[in-house]
Amino acid sequence: MTPFLNRRKFLQYGFLSTAVLVMDGCELKNILTSKDTIGQVQYDLFPKAKELGINTQVYMHIILHHSRISKEDKTFIKNGVKWLNEEARKMYKKIYIKLSKSQRQKVLHSIAATQWGESWLYTMLTYNFEAMLGDPIYRANINKAGWKWLQFEGGLPAPKKAFL
Amino acid sequence: MIDVCIIGSGAGASPIAYELSNAGFSVVVLEKGEYFTEEDFNKDELAVSRRDMFTPPLWEQKHIINEYEADGSFIRYDGEEYGWSFWNGSLVGGSSNLMSGYFHRMKPKDFKLRSTYGDIKGANVVDWVIDYEELEPYYDKVEKVIGVSGKVVQHKFQEKRSSKDFPYPELLTNGVTKWFDSACFALGYEAIPTPRAILSQNALGRNGCYYSNFCGSYGCASGAKGSARASLLQKCKAKIITDAFVYRLESDGQKITKAFYYTKHGFAHRVEAKIFVLAAQAIESSRLLLNSKSRFFPNGLANSSGELGKNLIFSAGGSGSGRFVFQKLTKEQQKELMEPGVFFNRSLQGWYEYEQDGKRYKGGTIDFLFEHQNIISRVNKELYDEEGKLLWGEALAKKIHSRITTSRVLTFEVFNDWLPTDKCSVNVDENTKDKYGVPVGVINLFGHPHDLEVGEYLAQKAVDVLQKMGAVEISYDISSSPPPNLVAGGCRFGNDPKSFVLDKNCKAHDLQNLYVTDASFMPTGGSVPYTWTIYANSFRVADILKGVLNK
Repeated sequence: MTPFLNRRKFLQYGFLSTAVLVMDGCELKNILTSKDTIGQVQYDLFPKAKELGINTQVYMHIILHHSRISKEDKTFIKNGVKWLNEEARKMYKKIYIKLSKSQRQKVLHSIAATQWGESWLYTMLTYNFEAMLGDPIYRANINKAGWKWLQFEGGLPAPKKAFL
Repeated sequence: MIDVCIIGSGAGASPIAYELSNAGFSVVVLEKGEYFTEEDFNKDELAVSRRDMFTPPLWEQKHIINEYEADGSFIRYDGEEYGWSFWNGSLVGGSSNLMSGYFHRMKPKDFKLRSTYGDIKGANVVDWVIDYEELEPYYDKVEKVIGVSGKVVQHKFQEKRSSKDFPYPELLTNGVTKWFDSACFALGYEAIPTPRAILSQNALGRNGCYYSNFCGSYGCASGAKGSARASLLQKCKAKIITDAFVYRLESDGQKITKAFYYTKHGFAHRVEAKIFVLAAQAIESSRLLLNSKSRFFPNGLANSSGELGKNLIFSAGGSGSGRFVFQKLTKEQQKELMEPGVFFNRSLQGWYEYEQDGKRYKGGTIDFLFEHQNIISRVNKELYDEEGKLLWGEALAKKIHSRITTSRVLTFEVFNDWLPTDKCSVNVDENTKDKYGVPVGVINLFGHPHDLEVGEYLAQKAVDVLQKMGAVEISYDISSSPPPNLVAGGCRFGNDPKSFVLDKNCKAHDLQNLYVTDASFMPTGGSVPYTWTIYANSFRVADILKGVLNK
């Protein structure tokens, strides 16, 4: 399923109203920053990126602050962290990054079975691959490590300045 | 007062700017986007393909889309909410900068669809008011001025040509084309080298192709691609004003007197000219005219016929693919398969017309090409397993690595007629405004079932070839999803002012000095990509305008 269809269908089937209900039940305290949780989730989803030295955190910082990313998309990323932590607390009485590796995987599998969860994890993975396989000018694909892993050569000319 | 004001700078606009300014007339081009040149273009997937740097963000400028069913019911989509974009390229030269340049001429029968194939229930098919012979010299001119490379081979539906061959030799092709040609030969299909609007050698003051591996969707850094900017605007004295969004045309009932435009910061300006040429791409051209209502034209400018915005068409068909995997190939074949840069460039047109169950059908074109090399989008296609479950971790890493490094996908695109219908049109939504405060365009979509039938027939032929070549995972999708970059109609041309917006010369029937020269004029689109025809028609209108201005 393409991201476009995924999102289109997702919205068509009332994702927004579901989100409000989930948010209403959210009582999180002392949450660590979203950035840390996103970093942990991306590592749990694709540890290969860290092995290759990809700096996904610097890329997510760009995404969360760039004008070309819509407010809705930024909110979705941040809301996902809240929902993820709510699920973690429901399952293990702890927020996500305080869980063991196997517990975190169980939480990921649990949310993947929901519409919002699958869409959010898909989004996290796509940003992970943007970081890993985007031009090195964005400071995430360090030494073209992501490209080298896939024997890929970037097109020329490479950008002289970052658009994002 | 300047002679000509052109709204838009793409394939429908630039031949007029080029011809008239080179003939000594004063020409102003108003372009909403920025001016990028070869120096600026690069292959940044994140900027170009993921963040759409050449099109407006949908939260600033969007469309409303109504998707119709046969029973007249429809679902309304807010383009912003659903991430559904119909923008193609807001920059000098328009989307021609970003095209792949698959260039096919329309064929003689495409100009006479109704008289050749008869009426189809539910479709508003009409013949063109010009024929192939009238446009042929301009197709020829495009080959020479824009630059088309390829090799003419005789085949069942090869149209007549005034030049024996293309002015530039074929681009280099991948070794897999040999497998394709052999498969076609075995099947009795005629493989055609695909003509491309890409220079295969230095010519016309531009550099030849350097085989960057990233052509479609990207601006060309060598100037080889025959964009309206590289091939025309950079070679003429037309004055180009960027950051100029034209929001209204004013008329005195007989003539257009002024074009008003906003800059991105909301400052309003106006341009007066003897002649106005509108070529903002089909949807936006209709939208501008509809938004230019006045006491003279209460239903939209040049709309006394009530036909403005009607009979919007796209290219019907769809796409498909097959995968070649290392396990089934020799070392030599694996090497051929993975060779980067060079093109595939093969087409089939053997069913441009065909018979099925005793009935004659207008068919179409199938272009074959390698899957786009954008690495992020290729990887993102691998995120689900065969059961449709999201993958992650080691399983995902293994799958991605294997798919990207030991296989390659050959895709095909089917082009057949999108029949014009009452349900496919453009209007405006007075209650939904863009960032300039101007009502947004509403795109009403409907695909005639006949289009799907023809697309399905053609896709099966492509599948035959992929099977014969030994591809696996062959699949295709023929649907009525519109390709946003292949859009036409809305201001059809025809002789009767009561039934058509434009006359034979693409002049508005209602006005003395308004011409529309993007694909809006096309009553039917042929079964090919539109760009070559848009260029050719614009050169034709340029000749007409020279006559008008010289009077």
